[in-house]
Amino acid sequence: MQLPKDVCMGALRVTLTGNSEVWIENYRGILEYTGERILLQARTCQVCLEGSRLSIDYYTNEDMKISGNIVSLTYI
Amino acid sequence: MTEWLKRLRGYVKIIVWGFAPQRFINLCSNKGILLWNIEKQDDVYIMCVSLESFYRLRSIARKTKVRVVISERYGLPFFLPHLQRRKAFLAGLVLTVMFWIVSSMFVWDIQISGNCVITDDMIFQFLEQEGIQMGMRKSNLDIGELEKQIRRQFPQVTWTSGRLMGTRLLLELKENDAPIPEDTQGADAIIGRDLVAEYDGVITDMIVRSGIPQVTIGSQVAKGDLLVDGKVPIYAEDGTIREYRMVTADADIRMEHSGHFRIFLPEDYILKKYTGREKTGYFMRLGDREWKQAQKVSFLQYDSILNTHSMKILKMFGINGTFGKITYREYQKTEYLRDDSEAKEILQEKISDFLESLGEKGVQIISKDVKIETKCNGWVAHGELVVQEKVGTQVDTTQKED
Repeated sequence: MQLPKDVCMGALRVTLTGNSEVWIENYRGILEYTGERILLQARTCQVCLEGSRLSIDYYTNEDMKISGNIVSLTYI
Repeated sequence: MTEWLKRLRGYVKIIVWGFAPQRFINLCSNKGILLWNIEKQDDVYIMCVSLESFYRLRSIARKTKVRVVISERYGLPFFLPHLQRRKAFLAGLVLTVMFWIVSSMFVWDIQISGNCVITDDMIFQFLEQEGIQMGMRKSNLDIGELEKQIRRQFPQVTWTSGRLMGTRLLLELKENDAPIPEDTQGADAIIGRDLVAEYDGVITDMIVRSGIPQVTIGSQVAKGDLLVDGKVPIYAEDGTIREYRMVTADADIRMEHSGHFRIFLPEDYILKKYTGREKTGYFMRLGDREWKQAQKVSFLQYDSILNTHSMKILKMFGINGTFGKITYREYQKTEYLRDDSEAKEILQEKISDFLESLGEKGVQIISKDVKIETKCNGWVAHGELVVQEKVGTQVDTTQKED
């Protein structure tokens, strides 16, 4: 059975809309948050979002939405 | 939608700062507390949290060694206690809502449309007799029964439709457009009516629908002569007249006759000459009442020009309201004299208008002989016309009974 990896392995799911909005699911928590950089902890890696005027529109246990001027997204 | 729900339940904007604000955010999400609009400003974090969840933040704040301060409050739970202090406002608000609810239980306007022969007054009078008037309760109104009553009361109404639109009762009627057939058994049948000639002339065409014709095509008739007799003889088997049946004579009779006309045009005429002096005022009308800007018009002769605008918003409440500007323009009556060519031009125009109006009435002009002459203090246009037109005036048969 071909199950999606985010369901069976808990892999991070990132949805980017242009460079202004991003939806992130399956994360563990926030490690760092400033207006220029947001560092998130996932199950197997870390994700670093860099840009300017970054803000979190909402933040729940399931998903979050970040908006602002996104310059880069890096897996660490 | 979610914004309305949030506002209904109430939420606060908080400022968070201290040892581990990121951990504070993480713990909040782990405990199922929704945070939104999270922003970092200098050394502090600003975010929104529902009022319900705000009381659960104490333990998390203590654990993460951060300080939480409310910066702004939003929503109904914060608005209501604030409102409680303003008792008069609250009472006014409650009274307004109550008044609005109670008022909507009554009929405040009645509009009738589609009536042509039956006047509004007749219908309003009937409605009043039936107990239907402005200010009555909507629940006491039986529209189906009212429609039946209208049709019963006014036989010429063939269709009615009533409906309530808010507090307005709309009544639509349809009257019988077909001509009412002549009652031959009525009063006319006893009296009977003849057709008589209005002019001296020659009959050119004749179609008789009812009655006995007394003339034929080509007959020379004089004014007042009988054209169609409304007294129809009924013969017995032996050929004698048994009785007369009175009918209303009906016929299309065309007659050729001559006529004369005369148009006089005086030499002098008076025109208004505006002096250019004007005064302006404003006015307002609400129903039958009128308010005018008080001012003295010192002009001897003046025209009042009204520029009105209706207040559409008041029309929605059934009130007829207008406002506008009144301009008073002063003038002086000045006497002018016409010259010959001008007078002839005016007279020609008047003659052609007169002939045109005859044509519109169904009068056919066979020949015309028009002359324009100068008389004392003016001009006279006179002429002889030979025309062909429909004739026949009804008169009571009994007057001519032999």
